Amino acid sequence: MRRTRTIATSVSALFWVAVGLLTCYGASRLGVGSVTEPGAGFIFFWSGLILVILSLIVLADAIRSAEDAVREMGKMNWAKIALVLLALLLYAFFLERLGFVLTTFVLMSFLLGCIEGTNWVRSAGVAAAAALASYAIFELWLKIRLPKGLFGF
Amino acid sequence: MLESLTSLIYGFNIALQPQNLLYCFIGVTMGTLVGVLPGIGPTATIALLLPATFSLNPISAIIMLSGICYGAMYGGSTTSILLNIPGEASSVVTCFDGYQMARQGRAGAALGISAFGSFIAGTFSIFGLILLAPTLANFALRFGPPEYFALMVMGLTVVAYLARKSMAKALMMAVVGILLGCIGLDPITATPRFTFGILELADGIGIAPVVMGLFGITEVLENLGVLTKTEVFAEKIKGLFPTREDWKRSVGPIARGSLLGFFLGLLPGVGAIVPQFLSYALEKKLSRHPERFGNGAIEGVASPEACNNAAVGGTFIPLLSLGIPSTAMTAILLGALMIYGLTPGPLLIKNSPDLFWGVIASMYIGNLMLLILNLPLIPLWVRVLKIPYSYLSCFIILFCLIGAYSLNNSTTDIYVAVVFSFVGLLMKKFAFEPAPLVLAFVLGPLLETALRRSLILSDGSVLIFLQRPISAVFILFSIVVLVVPLFGQIRLGRGLSEED
Repeated sequence: MRRTRTIATSVSALFWVAVGLLTCYGASRLGVGSVTEPGAGFIFFWSGLILVILSLIVLADAIRSAEDAVREMGKMNWAKIALVLLALLLYAFFLERLGFVLTTFVLMSFLLGCIEGTNWVRSAGVAAAAALASYAIFELWLKIRLPKGLFGF
Repeated sequence: MLESLTSLIYGFNIALQPQNLLYCFIGVTMGTLVGVLPGIGPTATIALLLPATFSLNPISAIIMLSGICYGAMYGGSTTSILLNIPGEASSVVTCFDGYQMARQGRAGAALGISAFGSFIAGTFSIFGLILLAPTLANFALRFGPPEYFALMVMGLTVVAYLARKSMAKALMMAVVGILLGCIGLDPITATPRFTFGILELADGIGIAPVVMGLFGITEVLENLGVLTKTEVFAEKIKGLFPTREDWKRSVGPIARGSLLGFFLGLLPGVGAIVPQFLSYALEKKLSRHPERFGNGAIEGVASPEACNNAAVGGTFIPLLSLGIPSTAMTAILLGALMIYGLTPGPLLIKNSPDLFWGVIASMYIGNLMLLILNLPLIPLWVRVLKIPYSYLSCFIILFCLIGAYSLNNSTTDIYVAVVFSFVGLLMKKFAFEPAPLVLAFVLGPLLETALRRSLILSDGSVLIFLQRPISAVFILFSIVVLVVPLFGQIRLGRGLSEED
């Protein structure tokens, strides 16, 4: 178990080392400038460098197993998580094309029916109520402009 | 003192206007509701309601958003006591003895003392706010860019120091927060920085989608298929008014909890969670019967509940007097102040006395509303808790998406929220805490401006931070905070509960 944790922490530390190095590279292209005349990339360069150093400290800690750093979480359902994330990305894609009410109805039906296992009739009913109620609250009452889409709502 | 009293009366005149009373009521009710519901916290709720407040005047808006902050502290205890699940991270400690009291048939007394303790502490912290915030603001008028830079560095190092696991990881998240916060046009040369050609990123990444992703959607994703049923322990709650014996046991803990919470809440980065743990530990240490703690000791409910409420009042002081947020929650409030066209900082109290004193007076009224309404409404909150989590989680996701979208009416913000929800999940998995990231995200642009101005002022000498006495104190304190853990395991965050 400890070995798995060490590997996981090392991988995450190496990831941040890479992010830090890429940030330094990007910052140098923007122009780091000097202490007397800081450039657009100044804060990015130095922050990137600090990130690399801190990641290396975490990596060293992981190798020495000083840090018991990966959290024990309950069993996560990665398949469901992936489905929900995909649904949310599709929601963002279709929101302005199909309008708020229709897209929200489809998303809520999917989340309730497919992910949470509520029966389809009930899911559709709750989803319709949620879409219409949130439209009434946010668009009509709070005057937040929600996308209208093809059908005008 | 007399001046403060006159200003406070002026504040009450503003807070008692019907519109402000209504928004105060909505704020505290929403706060209690999200405090009761596990899965969505005050930080995400404030971000969610932010766009809805654009049509209001800034005073009503801040009154409502502040109401959410302290209302959530009242609501959080309800789930801790009845369900053994903290509705808020800052109510974790209340579970220890609150739930045991509920098991012994004393749920009413636990809920009652938690409400009264919260009210007393809330009142105390408001008076502290009245006395300290204007004084601190006057002092901060001497601050220039180096002092602000040093103060922000100190805030971020304290947040990292309080991290529950690895301090290095918390510092990493603070650095990542600064990087993300600085994305967009350069404040001096207007060069696009790390925007990757995406036009919407020129203005930077919005705080709302980041918070929605990290605090709202992540929580739902983590619990997918895990939390399916919530069982409320107490069906019928009786005896909400604590007995004379309960009061006798609780007076001291409430007083100590209020003091501890308020003064720790003042420190940048401390928030309400750590003081709660410390107050519990302190009461256990002071008790003649420490073995009662964890088995339904009323002191174990009274002190932490008073403490977390007082701490919220404390966190408002750096926000309103210095313009520096000390928690993720106050970071969003800072964003709100800027959106309303106000300039947070030492001049806020002088330039917008109606806002400052109006909000403070509303906090007192809000606390009173919570005390009067909260106890009778507990059966309603219990009923709310019986709503299946499957429904709640879908609604939380929907509200987060609307909240992310509506600030700029941009679907890019929804993509950002979705990306950050996944990032948040990975952060949980790999034990990276989100609070330093959010705080640094908000402070990043301020920090960069202060740093660059300081360097221009000093003609490129970094020694300016040590040559000016106030900034030198902040920098030295930050160095001590960074160095101390190297000489032992004396970090407050260690040993705290994993729950966040």
